[in-house]
Amino acid sequence: MDKEKTLDFKSPSFFQRLKGMLGVDFYRLFHTPMFYIFLGIAAIIPALVSMGNTGETAGLFTNAWQIIASDSPLYVVNNIGQYANMNMVFIFGGIMISIFIGHDYKSGYVKQLFTTHAKKQDYMMSKTTVGAFSMICMCGTYLIGGVLSALFTGLPFTVNAGSLICALLGKLIMSLGWASLYTFINVIFRRKFGISIALCFVLGTGIPVIGAAALFGNSPVLNIFLYGSSVNACLSANFVTVIICLAVSTAWAVIYNLLGSWILSKRDVY
Amino acid sequence: MNAIEIKNLTKTFGQKIAVDGLNMTVPVGAIYGFIGENGSGKSTTEKLICGLLVPDGGEIKLFGRDYTDQDVRAKIGVLIEQPGCFPNMSVWNNMMLQATNLSIKNPEEEVRKVLKIVRMEGSASNKFKNCSLGMKQRIGIAFALLGEPALLILDEPINGLDADGMRIMREVLVDITKNYNCTVLISSHILGELEKIASHYGIIRDGEMIKQMTAEELDKNCPTYVALKSKNMAQTKMLLEKKYSRIKEENEYLRVYDDVKAEEIVNYLYKNNIFVTEIKTDKISLEEYYIDLMKEAK
Repeated sequence: MDKEKTLDFKSPSFFQRLKGMLGVDFYRLFHTPMFYIFLGIAAIIPALVSMGNTGETAGLFTNAWQIIASDSPLYVVNNIGQYANMNMVFIFGGIMISIFIGHDYKSGYVKQLFTTHAKKQDYMMSKTTVGAFSMICMCGTYLIGGVLSALFTGLPFTVNAGSLICALLGKLIMSLGWASLYTFINVIFRRKFGISIALCFVLGTGIPVIGAAALFGNSPVLNIFLYGSSVNACLSANFVTVIICLAVSTAWAVIYNLLGSWILSKRDVY
Repeated sequence: MNAIEIKNLTKTFGQKIAVDGLNMTVPVGAIYGFIGENGSGKSTTEKLICGLLVPDGGEIKLFGRDYTDQDVRAKIGVLIEQPGCFPNMSVWNNMMLQATNLSIKNPEEEVRKVLKIVRMEGSASNKFKNCSLGMKQRIGIAFALLGEPALLILDEPINGLDADGMRIMREVLVDITKNYNCTVLISSHILGELEKIASHYGIIRDGEMIKQMTAEELDKNCPTYVALKSKNMAQTKMLLEKKYSRIKEENEYLRVYDDVKAEEIVNYLYKNNIFVTEIKTDKISLEEYYIDLMKEAK
């Protein structure tokens, strides 16, 4: 009876739980070499892209900021210059998130986590947040790499500053939606993270949206998709573009988090 | 109140029924030895209780509440297979991460405390991947002890350990039950070790609970016997069968299960010109009881 009397069942609040889980995930992120490797990759991509602006393929970029975003929202691209911009961060971000979550399953961290009071929704939110943060950081290193590459290749920097800021903001905001998609994919495939990586790569490249655009034309309806809105955040972007990015990114983040939490609660975890 | 109360629990994997209408009761404060053959459904049951698997049917209550209740889950410590640690991180960092996840107020103090209990305070800086199996199992128990759990679920914590590892683990488990106010559900194949610590037992076969009992009940079910050896075992057996009703040949000994003293048997055989070379009084072990029970079930 004494033992019964001393039992005090009280779990931490939502914010305490999320704070704890985010603490763990951010600690892991900052202590894994993978994160810094991907930051490096993001910084190098613009240099590789701008290399295509020489020799026979010269003229892909006529302006430094085209390395960051295309001039207009073109879903079907005519050349690599219109495609290869900051959106590529979302491809590599998907691979990084897949490896990060894959480690959760491989190490048994997920098993350890879900035997405690941790809720599935906490897990989804924490991974989405950390994933979004890492992609925002990658956007940052991409921007630095892009500017340095443009300086090196001597491209002009003339631009509508407002549009550039809106484009950059839009892409940063889209990181949230992309991170939630990648977290969702990894929750579905769990320990089969090779499949997760492949799927994240395919979706990150925007192939489904590019395919749809090729069939039905460059319709603004495509902005409801993550890739669509990411493309829409271009050098002709304005405040409305940012609002659209915010709405689309948040909506998909909520949908994927809810779906992921539901799947995690209905399926065997480990 | 029971720490665990399971009714008609069912879990299937495709066509295979892993847990088949299992009923189980673990009283608060018990050290419950969960016994069964490989593939009998022990680990599946434990994973179901922990929430790692979703049951197909049945009811699981922990301390009178549904097993999904977050408040009650906050008071459960689990070691299933190996602890979920990051191999390249130190034991200390892995422990601190788990303490952070559990929102423990004084994580460093708590981690130090549990590492001391499992005799790992001197190895905290080791990378997890460099730890021996015994150390890993003890780290797993330290993980489970974080947050002062009311219920500990330990899946085969002594399997694969050498004699010294088993001794340390036994000491650790005894320490836990003395110093922590918690109920322990522990599964193991090593029944000799389990017998030394368990207060209750549950025996599972093909996903069904075939027997639940207390240590006292087991004691009653495990009678004492007289085991002897002689130079002429065949004749001895024949003579013993004439006088006693329950005779069994086991491990090169003849066992007499009747309520009889060793001296009486020696005198009886001596009168019949049989000289006993070795004699001892012993008790049926949990392992023997379990083997008999399995034979009956089959």
